[in-house]
Amino acid sequence: MAPKYKFTYFNARGRGELVRLIFAAAGVEYEDVRFDWEQWLAFKAKGTTPMGQIPVLEVDGRMMCQSLAIARYVARETGLCGTTSWEEAQADMFVCGADDLLTNLITVRFEKDEAKKEEGKRDLATYVPNFLANYEKLCGTEGYLVGTSLTYADLAFFNVMHDILKVTSLDKYPKLAKVVEHVTADRGVATWLAKRPDTPS
Amino acid sequence: MPTYKLTCFNVRGRAELIRLLFAAGEIPYEDVRIEWDKWPELKPISDTPMGQIPTLEVDGQVICQSMAIARFVAGKAGLLGKTNMDQARADMLLDGGMDVGKLFTEMVMEKDASKKAEKKKEFGEKHLPPFLALYEGFAGDNGHFVGDSLTWSDIGFFNMMDFITAEYPGALDGYCKLNKVIDNVKSNPGVAKWLKERPVTNH
Repeated sequence: MAPKYKFTYFNARGRGELVRLIFAAAGVEYEDVRFDWEQWLAFKAKGTTPMGQIPVLEVDGRMMCQSLAIARYVARETGLCGTTSWEEAQADMFVCGADDLLTNLITVRFEKDEAKKEEGKRDLATYVPNFLANYEKLCGTEGYLVGTSLTYADLAFFNVMHDILKVTSLDKYPKLAKVVEHVTADRGVATWLAKRPDTPS
Repeated sequence: MPTYKLTCFNVRGRAELIRLLFAAGEIPYEDVRIEWDKWPELKPISDTPMGQIPTLEVDGQVICQSMAIARFVAGKAGLLGKTNMDQARADMLLDGGMDVGKLFTEMVMEKDASKKAEKKKEFGEKHLPPFLALYEGFAGDNGHFVGDSLTWSDIGFFNMMDFITAEYPGALDGYCKLNKVIDNVKSNPGVAKWLKERPVTNH
């Protein structure tokens, strides 16, 4: 019998969207629970989360946290993590690198101190082009970051580029442009992108 | 048999978990250490994927990102966890440890002496005790975080506490299960040998 998945996070992309994209690409059903702040506080007070944080994934009565651990678990279960141990390591490398950038973006976005926020934005102005240049250099030749088919590395790259793609063209990065094409053309992802809630972050 | 070459600074830092995993798996590798002052001249001409070290070279192919490398070596050493769910649990516990480890590192690297003293007090009183209490709950009576045998989450916890107890010596007092985890890791033959032989560095 197929496992029942329940994924709980805020009503945001943030640190939850990669997992949602993996479920979408894999065509796997799951319950997509979204909390507002009050609902989160009530849930947290129950003391059932492993580390007092969301996102959490519940599967067959067990609960786990840590967004990348969840993403990797779902990618492994659904065959989207690479086909050899070396491909898995490469996918891992790309996902970790994308997560570093995501952390930077989230930190700057939610920074309350104006001076620190401006400094963060200046740092991103060199970080992002370096990131894109590195990923273009490392990207596979078939329009996927790793190997010859979609992995969660492609989804992680697409996910972190959400706001960046609004202001930056991938003309200088033809291999990465192809990755984005493949991700958005994937049937499950395309369906999800058309119907997912539109949230500011 | 593949050849492994790990390149990092001459510190424990982000590479030590990887070195401990090679040791636990009794997997031979080349442990290349670069002195800090040599890095600027190497960086522009180096082959690193993302301009950072550590990197792992396997039969001529290179990856970076310390946790991706560690996960790969843990896999080769048979220390990831037996089922996919076990592996996910190990990942979760390691990532949770790194969230706290990051705060610890920020404190250690603080250059301003009075800010550092403040951060040290805050870490020791506000962040470390709840983390240890939480992880005491995660550890099994058998002194393992996942299942009934050594996994890389035990080794990762040991490595992190190795750094933390240097600044907070009594931190693990009273945590029976966590101390068992530490003992299990230290008594692994490959790890024991490495702990005796490894270069002594400040970080």
